[in-house]
Amino acid sequence: MSDAQPIYSIEDLVIDLYATTVSVRAVDGVSFNVRPGETVAVVGESGSGKTVMTLGPLGLLPEGVTVDMKGSARADGSELLSIGSRQLSDLRGRYFGVIFQDPMSALNPMLKIGPQLARQARRFAGLSQEAARKEAVSLLARSGIPDPEDRYNRYPHEMSGGMLQRAMIALALAARPRVLIADEPTTALDATVQAQILELIRQIQREDGIAVVLITHDIGVVASVADRVIVLYAGQVAEEGTAMDVLTRPVHPYTRGLLASVPDFRADERAATREIPGLPPNQIRLEPGCRFAERCELVEAGCRQHRPPLQTISASTSPHRVACPVVLKREGIAVHV
Amino acid sequence: MNISAIRDIKDWPWLVLLPVIGFVLIGIFAPAIMPYDPSAQDYSATLEGMSWNHWLGTDYLGRDVFSRIVGGARISLVAMVIVLVAALAIGVTIGSFAGYVGGRVELVLISIIDIALALPSLVIALALIGILGTGYWSMITALTLAWWANYARMSRAVVTAELQQPYIEAARVMGAGHLWIFVRHILPHVLALVVVYASADAGALVLAIATLSFLGLGVAPPTPEWGQMLVDGMSYIEEVPRLVVLPGLALTLVVVSFNLLGEAFALQKVPRPVRGATLRRRRKARAREEAERNAVETGTTSA
Amino acid sequence: MKRTILRRMLLACLLILAASALTFALVAAAPGNVAALIAERAAGPGADAHMIAKIGNELGLYDPLPIRYGRWLSGALAGDFGISLRTGKPISSEFAARIPMTAALLAGGGILAFIFSIALGIAGAVSNGGVMDRFLHAFSLIGASTPNFFVAALLVIVFSVMLGWVPTFGTSGFTSWLLPWVTIALFPASVLSRVVRVNLQEAMSRPFATTGFAKGFTRTQVLLREALPNIAIPFLTTFGAQFTLMIIGSIVVETVFALRGVGAFFIEAIRFRDFIGMQSVLLLFVVFFVMVNFIVDMICIVADPRMRRARGA
Repeated sequence: MSDAQPIYSIEDLVIDLYATTVSVRAVDGVSFNVRPGETVAVVGESGSGKTVMTLGPLGLLPEGVTVDMKGSARADGSELLSIGSRQLSDLRGRYFGVIFQDPMSALNPMLKIGPQLARQARRFAGLSQEAARKEAVSLLARSGIPDPEDRYNRYPHEMSGGMLQRAMIALALAARPRVLIADEPTTALDATVQAQILELIRQIQREDGIAVVLITHDIGVVASVADRVIVLYAGQVAEEGTAMDVLTRPVHPYTRGLLASVPDFRADERAATREIPGLPPNQIRLEPGCRFAERCELVEAGCRQHRPPLQTISASTSPHRVACPVVLKREGIAVHV
Repeated sequence: MNISAIRDIKDWPWLVLLPVIGFVLIGIFAPAIMPYDPSAQDYSATLEGMSWNHWLGTDYLGRDVFSRIVGGARISLVAMVIVLVAALAIGVTIGSFAGYVGGRVELVLISIIDIALALPSLVIALALIGILGTGYWSMITALTLAWWANYARMSRAVVTAELQQPYIEAARVMGAGHLWIFVRHILPHVLALVVVYASADAGALVLAIATLSFLGLGVAPPTPEWGQMLVDGMSYIEEVPRLVVLPGLALTLVVVSFNLLGEAFALQKVPRPVRGATLRRRRKARAREEAERNAVETGTTSA
Repeated sequence: MKRTILRRMLLACLLILAASALTFALVAAAPGNVAALIAERAAGPGADAHMIAKIGNELGLYDPLPIRYGRWLSGALAGDFGISLRTGKPISSEFAARIPMTAALLAGGGILAFIFSIALGIAGAVSNGGVMDRFLHAFSLIGASTPNFFVAALLVIVFSVMLGWVPTFGTSGFTSWLLPWVTIALFPASVLSRVVRVNLQEAMSRPFATTGFAKGFTRTQVLLREALPNIAIPFLTTFGAQFTLMIIGSIVVETVFALRGVGAFFIEAIRFRDFIGMQSVLLLFVVFFVMVNFIVDMICIVADPRMRRARGA
């Protein structure tokens, strides 16, 4: 939405994951960026590489897998893929705030909530001990936690899931980050709490003007908060553009399938919700061609031979781009060069 | 670990088995390997150093140390196998019976097992030797009675779990008898687990035998036994430390071998990150695949 | 929480009762009649049946087993364990002299094992596949495989015979304790350092560790601040088990280093078939095991916030 320079940008990122028995290309040549004050939603099924793409360059993938990254990821004037681990740690704490899917397991069961917040505020916002404690309490209050003074000294097991996710948000904000990454922030929560958490994230973003990257498989969530959307399929970008463009004028067969599978969304156009037939491909073998070909209704012979280029169909600061020449040709959509 | 641990045998690092196989072979062929009678004394050649006649020298009675160490392998192996088989038989029988019968019988048997496990096995073995008196067979008996409870507990757990499986009910409906169901359907699962555990436990048993002999409560002096050789050598520790070090090393090597085997079992299901040479190999393979893919894509475009 | 503690306490007492009854029955059923043994020691092999019966009556050996057990246990609770068949002196006076010796051995070894296992486990986790991690692996494998009497012998060869730094046997001052402590600590330290390493690795793969990284900590900081508190419970539990196993180590170490402790007394009792002495030591061991497990349970309850304050939000 803003014309400002991106504050976190990824160029042509390739991520291979190696475990004892398998190696997977989780992210295959993806570029994206986020600007201050903007919310970008990264949408895809589980295993589409959305989390790996966003958290991988920050070194936030769980231990036990070996991560191999190529391409570029830049934030705060540094190249994350070649920066030293100490500087990367510092950048993670200072520049990025991260909210994880399941607050119950993402918060350390042996540590009290409040002191963790105060510590972050002291380390990265340069507050004194006393001020940090006050800041922590006000962060808890701001995150919608009632009786923050009492919650300050609580352990995670003493709070409910919704409260914990609020605490998680408070923790992510404690260092006053520039980019907030929310990895499926509402998936583990009750439906009634989901909306509150999303509203909280949106409110914080408006007040602080930070950039938000929202990772989700739920396209319904996208509609309510995102400015821009990137649809990932099997580690590659299928379609991207403003939320308006992608949600109301989807072009890629996968995006259309995703939207059709959401109940009550665009119900006037489609009688019943439909599922996309088949399963995402395994990314163990590096097959050439379009990853979606196996499940696509419009598949042509050429689809399996070359990777479809990402083509721009409406140019603006947030261009609408689609990686499916077949559908563009069939529907006669003009491509901007 | 379950029955598939056995089935996955082809994935094991076979090297891990080599030292154990070596120990077993030395134990079996000890009589053929030993150049001298391990208890033959030779007062004209006491405390000799290493030489072509006596590869590892002689002890204070002129006995050949190499022969005694090889003979010690045989003693350890035989005693260990007897105890292991006996303890397995008793443990599996009692544990399976408890698990299969259930009810009060099970409760009573479990209480006995739990009390038997309240003290470390070796302390129980020591107490039993105190009651039975010292000697080879009382050591074997004591170790067996001290060792069965673990296997009993494991067997019971497996039996209880297997009885929940639907196929047992199916077999019963088809008119299979208790004994048939147990031997045919349940016992294989019990043995699969217990034998894997026992193979790793063998090291602890070899250690226990040596410890008892070291304390003068196991294998009696003329017979070559590592623990007992070591305590013998303690009197000469300042002049001829070799008499202490050699049997100790032999014992440690055997225990390390069995523990390595146990570790291989334990590591079966633990995922580990890929490092070093493997990672470089995988990276190369990935790069090759990528090149192939690019060749296909650009190749067809240019064609 | 009070109820949990009370229940555990009751359970511990029951376990002591059951195990002591079992050991009492076992020793009482031993083939050699205690009275015959005493008579034999008093009058040589020519002890007649009359004398044996007289001694048996005096000791109440012909009473029913439960009554004898009750008498023995109540005596033991009052500090009277009976007369040693070997020394002819009250066992309580033996214990008074020997328990401090064994306690010092166990305490020193326990502290060494505690410090070394945590330090090594952390160093291995920090190195994460590097040289230190491989060293830890080799150390824990070899340390857990080397018999403690061999460890003792090697230490004596190196530090007493070759270097002459510490006295070979006996207790004369602090330095003489060093070899026994190191010997007894090696096995638990090997096992526990592996427990620390493995549990740290497990904790590092949990989501809260990722949160730790997201908070801007380096890997070492995440290990120490986020993962380490989480291994407290498995570590303490294994430490308790290993600490009780150190009783076996103490038996061997006291024999090798000629320390006059409870373990050495136990071995002498076994060799001389001193059933009364054996019974008393076994009772002592049972109490020790149950107590250690109880204390570890209590520490775990205190260390785990989930158990400490189970109030819902």
